[in-house]
Amino acid sequence: MKGAGYIFDAIVVGAGPAGSSAAYTLARKGFKVLVVERGRTPGSKNMFGGRVYADPIREVFPNLNKSAPIHRWVTKERISMVSGEKMTSLEFEGKKNVSFTTYLTELSNWMAKQVEEAGGIVLTEITVDNFIVKDGRVKGIRVGNEEVFSDVVIDAEGINRLLLERAGLIPRITPNYAGLGVKEVIKLSKEDIEKNFGLGSGEGIAWLLIGDIMEGLPGGAFLYTNKDSISLGIVVMLGSAMERMKEHISRYVERLRLHPLLEKYFREGRIMEYSAHLVPEYVWPAIPHRLYGDGFLVAGDAAGLLLNLGYNFRGVDFASYSGYLAAQAVEKAHSLGGMSAENLSIYQELLEKSFILRELRKFKNAPKMRKNERLYDFYPYLINAIADKIFHAKYETPKIMDAFKEANKGRIGWFTLIRDLYEVSRSI
Amino acid sequence: MLNIVVGIKWVPNTTLVNIDPRTGTLIREGISSIVNPHDLVAVEMALRLKNEYGGTVTVITMSPPSAIAGLEHVIGMGADRGILVSDRAFAGADTLATSYALAKTMERLDYNLIVFGQETIDSSTAHIGAQVASWLKIPYIYYVTEARYIEDRNIIRVKRALENAYETYELELPALISVAMHSLNPRRVSIYNKLRVKLESPIETWSNEILGLEKNCIGLKGSPTALAKIEMIPKVLRKNEVFKGNDVKKAARWLVKKLLEEGLIEI
Repeated sequence: MKGAGYIFDAIVVGAGPAGSSAAYTLARKGFKVLVVERGRTPGSKNMFGGRVYADPIREVFPNLNKSAPIHRWVTKERISMVSGEKMTSLEFEGKKNVSFTTYLTELSNWMAKQVEEAGGIVLTEITVDNFIVKDGRVKGIRVGNEEVFSDVVIDAEGINRLLLERAGLIPRITPNYAGLGVKEVIKLSKEDIEKNFGLGSGEGIAWLLIGDIMEGLPGGAFLYTNKDSISLGIVVMLGSAMERMKEHISRYVERLRLHPLLEKYFREGRIMEYSAHLVPEYVWPAIPHRLYGDGFLVAGDAAGLLLNLGYNFRGVDFASYSGYLAAQAVEKAHSLGGMSAENLSIYQELLEKSFILRELRKFKNAPKMRKNERLYDFYPYLINAIADKIFHAKYETPKIMDAFKEANKGRIGWFTLIRDLYEVSRSI
Repeated sequence: MLNIVVGIKWVPNTTLVNIDPRTGTLIREGISSIVNPHDLVAVEMALRLKNEYGGTVTVITMSPPSAIAGLEHVIGMGADRGILVSDRAFAGADTLATSYALAKTMERLDYNLIVFGQETIDSSTAHIGAQVASWLKIPYIYYVTEARYIEDRNIIRVKRALENAYETYELELPALISVAMHSLNPRRVSIYNKLRVKLESPIETWSNEILGLEKNCIGLKGSPTALAKIEMIPKVLRKNEVFKGNDVKKAARWLVKKLLEEGLIEI
């Protein structure tokens, strides 16, 4: 068969942050690497909210600060609780280069370019149909009736883990273990962004909102400032959102954009893009899934390596770093004599030792905590009602306790309040 | 054997392009480019002919270097070789200057069939095929939906679609055919062919240093076409009135009255 002579040391499925990080690390070590991506360009199928934590990625790509498409360093964090047309916010400002905003398409493209410059091959518009499995060992990939072989396959196919499902290596994902992110990108001039959000040149804001702005959907809204646009969207827990959604999810985002508290920030804007994507929400490590086997490793979203704290999301850096660790595992297995599950099991150890699994374990109760409906509904109401009574007092200012009592109207007791507070501070 | 040359164009994805209502120009910012979809149909036709009768498929485009991605795509589909005709001297070319440069490139190749798409989605002139054939002094035909090579007579027999009929023609080779849009479904790229792109570098760039074309015949200087003006078609404002209520008879009467008032119907 024509082309049957193509053999690689490693094939990486998916040119997102996980795949390209794995491929780049391997290519730099002299491995013959092929990356296959089903989108027209790297990053054309993935999506994120808007913010990336730099340090883990810089470990993988040392030239991150020099040449990566960094839009703005996040210097302002704002968390808001919304109730009707009232909003109470907590804001933090600090000027360190810890996380930045970007377009994931641009970042993925940049990473793929690093792979090619390091000697790897990146092919787009290639949809892998399945793994070639012989004697229980993954030997390569099948695309239509064509086969390409390799010593190891790194699966970084993202949350739609069709390959892993087809190979019977993992169970099908269910709505209870997935979130749904929906986002609009609104074009706005650099000057307007900096003026409207009170930012210096190159500075950005990460803004999360909860409350009735979500119209009863379990989840939160986010806003990130890019170079000359804004990413605005929501993340909902898919399982419970499906039961409650009264109309298409895009309508919720539409109303978010037109919300009287938000609309003024991007009135001059023009919508450029609408996108939606699943987000892994595994209850780690309650769901056992093997991230390695004979001839394969799983990294990134496909491995469920994403942290959603409600006030913060860590996806891209987790993905990138897990790809980096997968590459290290391959290198180690290579020195041990081959890509057997036993040799590749070092991947699990590397993950356990890394910040990724430490974080996921530490915050393993976060998904449960986020199921507490009062967080989305009652507390935003309560805090705004109290603030309203205190700040919008016309003649007499009530004491905070009296404002609380009046706002609470006996709806929750002290016990519930303290227990919720305890749960939240213990979970996140 | 058929040695086929296909001409393609790398165009902005016009399905994504909006028009600035104030200036009347295309907003190209952030719009990705694609191979003109009608040209993919031409490539598909060429690949089918090659598969059936043997030979080669060479794809040519005249464009800035970004079009290499387009050549990679069609080689991914199965074309053998890509030639990017690219030089600052070619910039600003109208269809005459473009067809001249393309014809002069093709002259240097060993071909007996040239295939073009029907037209491009970004300009829709459908000139290039006919003009290339004229420069090369070879027969040409448009709106081809099927083609058969009859080797012993050195002809290509084509069926072409007109509005209400199919015609069959025989063209002596070398000849040029322009394939009717939507007549074939372009194939997906194959991983072996895409790997070939990366490992065997089947794409060449030909500048005017190679072609040596007279400056007066290329680029802006060789382009007599002048676009005088673009006028936007004014938007028709609709009144957008809605009848409220459930009474069908009333609704019908209301509608008829409105239409009569507007002079849209007569009794």
